[in-house]
Amino acid sequence: MGLRIRTYAGVNEVQPVAAQEVTSVFMTKDQATKIDQLFREVAEKGLSRREMIKRAGVMGISAYALTFAFVQKSHEAVAQGEENPLGVDPAAPLDVVVFKGGYGDDYAINVNDNLYGAMYPDAEITYIGTQRLMEQFQARVVDGNPPDVMDNSGAGNFSNAQLYRDGQLADLEDLMAAPAHGQEGVTFADSLAAGTQDEGQYDGKQYVLSFAMSMWGVWYNAAKFEEKGWEYPQTWDDMLALCQTIKDDGEMAPWTYQGMYPQYMRIIWDQLLFKSGGFEALHRINNLMEDAWTQPKVKECLDAFQALADNGYIMEGTEGLSHTEAQTFWLQGEAAFLPCGTFLENEMKDVVASVPDFQLTVQPVPSLNADDALPFTATQAGAGETFIVFAQGKNVQGGKEWLRLLFSQEGARFFSEATKSPTVVTGASEGLDLGSAFASAQAAIDASGENRLLSRYAGLYPDLNEAANKAFSDLLTGNKSADDIITELQELTDKLREDDAISKIEVPLYPIWHSQSEAGNATPVASPAG
Amino acid sequence: MHHHKYRIVIPFLAPALIIYGVFVLFPYLNAFYLSLTSWSGTSSERPFVGLANFRDLLTDGRFLSALGTNAKFLVVLPLFIITIALLYASLFTQGGTGIFGSGFYRVVFFFPQVISAVIIGILFQYVYNPRYGILNASLESMGLENLQRTWLGDSSTIFWAIAAVVVWSSIGFYMVIFMSSMQSIPTSFYEAATIDGASRWRQFFDITLPLMWETIRTCLIYISIAALDMFVIIQVMTGGSQTSAARSVETVAIYMYIEAFSKNRWGSAAAIGVILLVLTLIFSVIIMRVTKRETYEY
Repeated sequence: MGLRIRTYAGVNEVQPVAAQEVTSVFMTKDQATKIDQLFREVAEKGLSRREMIKRAGVMGISAYALTFAFVQKSHEAVAQGEENPLGVDPAAPLDVVVFKGGYGDDYAINVNDNLYGAMYPDAEITYIGTQRLMEQFQARVVDGNPPDVMDNSGAGNFSNAQLYRDGQLADLEDLMAAPAHGQEGVTFADSLAAGTQDEGQYDGKQYVLSFAMSMWGVWYNAAKFEEKGWEYPQTWDDMLALCQTIKDDGEMAPWTYQGMYPQYMRIIWDQLLFKSGGFEALHRINNLMEDAWTQPKVKECLDAFQALADNGYIMEGTEGLSHTEAQTFWLQGEAAFLPCGTFLENEMKDVVASVPDFQLTVQPVPSLNADDALPFTATQAGAGETFIVFAQGKNVQGGKEWLRLLFSQEGARFFSEATKSPTVVTGASEGLDLGSAFASAQAAIDASGENRLLSRYAGLYPDLNEAANKAFSDLLTGNKSADDIITELQELTDKLREDDAISKIEVPLYPIWHSQSEAGNATPVASPAG
Repeated sequence: MHHHKYRIVIPFLAPALIIYGVFVLFPYLNAFYLSLTSWSGTSSERPFVGLANFRDLLTDGRFLSALGTNAKFLVVLPLFIITIALLYASLFTQGGTGIFGSGFYRVVFFFPQVISAVIIGILFQYVYNPRYGILNASLESMGLENLQRTWLGDSSTIFWAIAAVVVWSSIGFYMVIFMSSMQSIPTSFYEAATIDGASRWRQFFDITLPLMWETIRTCLIYISIAALDMFVIIQVMTGGSQTSAARSVETVAIYMYIEAFSKNRWGSAAAIGVILLVLTLIFSVIIMRVTKRETYEY
């Protein structure tokens, strides 16, 4: 082991020109061909270093030739190894942009200072933590001078799908195959919870990485529920019954939501449909099918939701509230249930600190009824906070390396401690006591198994996203009936499907974490426009 | 004889002209070009589509209803802002120093002008908060619970709720302009009128108003341009068109923002911008023509 490390350490000291020249003198053509083949295998199969050395022996590559190959390959930026598997130029400057939103950005600064900066002390890191990324960085992206790596999240961010269509994203396949930082014999891809990166694939290749496990569910105050003797409902009928109990009790309203931003309720509804209709039901919507919204399950689930409005279970004035206003009311005990993602605690930490007895707890959306296709534990537990590397960045490999370090045990543990949110990195938060919100979210994510929702229509088709969100606001304020919404959204879906100017991305029936998935079946239906 | 003076003038003017060209003229021209493309906003390619964006917009119901919203603001804002600002200006200048406490009011009414529009929007979100907002709380304390509304969540109140904020925040500025205009009118005119037995109303309509007509015209154009814009306050206070109530006050500028930043249709957004520019120009010319009066020299 020690010998090998020295080999790698020496790599950077050799001048590239010299290495190129000596190769032909010190290595036979046969050895060079074999080594090329070996490197291809390493890249394709993501072999660990030990496996690679073994394989080299089988192929009859001498240790001497292999050493030289590394010297050369490191300068071609394809060297494989634990210290610098992506062949990063250690002195190349790195340009990092991070969305500084609900999660803050301490975790990114940690990577800059303590991980990337420590490993590549010669690299100058330009760092910006900010918001509304598209407004600020659009000109640079279009101009071919983008940052290297970006946490493209939050309001006003770039559309990842559009960036992909425009060829702006670097493909991350080599990163996926590289060894995970600080873990022996584990590839980067294998160090992440199964299937969490599915939404970041376009046409079968990885382009976007999601970092935070952001479960979306229904939040309540477990301490208050215990005091009142209320139990979190398992079915929608139980939910409505409990809402009536809460309403009769008179202390608080049963529900509130982020009135001006109705997508919070839409995301909850997606899950109700997912549980009752299974993967099939959302598959139809994700792929703009002819019965996307007219399928009977949609109507059942919309009716279930409408019951919240019809029975007056939604806190008065909710529709006029911003997200933080609604969340504050909920924390102040004015409403029992609130839809939100796991970023809630961090986003509201000032208010949370002022209500010490409040036990933030999240649960999956109740089942619709006994005929549901999926169990209660099925939930939306996708990964959020999406990171991208720009194809035209000056230091593409450095950008990927930054992600490899962020997505390491060290990087992810720091994130969980700082934000009290789980990450996609398996085992990174083990043993941390991060409170009731974190514990309940982690438990729900673990319990969901493969029944994790794949809802992509909103991300792929902005027009449908906007219309669906508004439709849910209309449903919950009594402006429109379930039937109106079905007609409206189906018409829009049909229009989008038939509009050739909008490129379609086919979403598979089962996500790749599911046992019935056919890996790699995400193929483009139409070629990207432009 | 005089031509060598340009040798001095040009170097002084050049930096300003270059900066103006790069940061003002070029973006304008570029926006015109973008409006003829179907640019996605992130691609380095900008496919040329001719006038298709404009054709689509003219049949786009949402664009037309956004224009309607601007038209409503165009009627409401000048009417209220100019009337109230004139009233305050004359109260605070009459007889030279104005009514008791004028100095205090002049400062206080100007306050909103120094607060950024975003802060004003957030501030009024609190005022209109349906549960703990000061508006509903005041109504309740006066026993007027039946007048309480979800001001920003109800299509029937949201327009007036926003218009009131814009009026409130604009009055101070126009009040100051009107005051300076009124103060420049010679007091001898009023003295003569008083001797002739003219009432204060008569003096206002026959002396003050005609003599400051030019100022009012200018202000009318300013307010109209603002009414054709109406972006920041609405974006902050409504969260930007995600609910029916918010959609009911969607202005052209908000729609332009959505087309660009949420729908990735920058060509269409640029076309909206161009239409807005043309409309603003046409409208300004119309106001100039319609309000043209004989000017008085004094």
